[in-house]
Amino acid sequence: MRPNPMILFYVVTGTVFGYALSRSGAADYDFIQAMFLFENIQLYGIIGTAVVVTTPLIWLLKRHGCTITGETLVIVNKPQHRGNVAGGLLFGVGWSIAGMCPGPILVNIGEGKVYALAALAGALVGAAAFGTLYPKIARPFRLPPLEVGTGDG
Amino acid sequence: MPGRQLLEHAPQRTTHGERPRAAWLSPGAPSSGVEDICSLVIDTRYFRRESLLSGGSWRFPLLAGLVIGGVLSAALGGGWEPTWDLGRFDQTIGWSGAGKIVWMFVGGLFIGFGTRFGGGCTSGHGIFGLSNLELPSLVTNVSFMVGGIVFTNILYRVIL
Repeated sequence: MRPNPMILFYVVTGTVFGYALSRSGAADYDFIQAMFLFENIQLYGIIGTAVVVTTPLIWLLKRHGCTITGETLVIVNKPQHRGNVAGGLLFGVGWSIAGMCPGPILVNIGEGKVYALAALAGALVGAAAFGTLYPKIARPFRLPPLEVGTGDG
Repeated sequence: MPGRQLLEHAPQRTTHGERPRAAWLSPGAPSSGVEDICSLVIDTRYFRRESLLSGGSWRFPLLAGLVIGGVLSAALGGGWEPTWDLGRFDQTIGWSGAGKIVWMFVGGLFIGFGTRFGGGCTSGHGIFGLSNLELPSLVTNVSFMVGGIVFTNILYRVIL
């Protein structure tokens, strides 16, 4: 990994995103449960708003075709495979158990929620287990070649 | 075959070790960031693949920013202090200490395994994938919402 002059920009972007996740309730156990119980639809609104705002911006980015520093922009679409459903269901259960998805695990740690460290440890072990099992489950779930992976995100 | 196309378009290093002057954007950071951390200590082919390593230079600082954002939010909204509070969980299941750690660790296992299996999380498949009108992202979104809705409703409406 080479040092990158854009690092400060990435840190600031992450900070803004983390702050927004924290204030929107996306990093709050009760908000997550209320969303899944349909008691409070705020988070559906948050996700929906993000998608509605982002869609035209991505369209513009692709149309413009290059980054602010003049590099050609290539958006790599995620591959389709049976892991989309199987992995999605497993992740949904984990999201419900912990009340966090991957980003908010880190936001929760920042907020001082001590138990989020246990969730991070679990996520690391889970991802490591998946990486280790990849050659075994790639065929039945029609996953892309190992060098490609299931998709970044 | 989507996998083959992706492989052909995956970032390649030239013989000089420099990447071509193009921004290869595989958006979505948090769940791949977990793999980035794994790649620091696990030396298997899966965690050495180019498509993962090439994203580490922007994902690590972004993940650090997520933590900073959480600190800022807590500090500006009533003050930062370590807490074990877990709202509805405390009022119902009521486990504390070791029980809560185990609960969170198990949840983390599902999160880590499931997001990598599915190829993304709420950021990559949710916000970005839907915004980029990608079908696999829609499929994954429906799947993780169903998983969460089913588990939370079983826990809080059936068991408790």
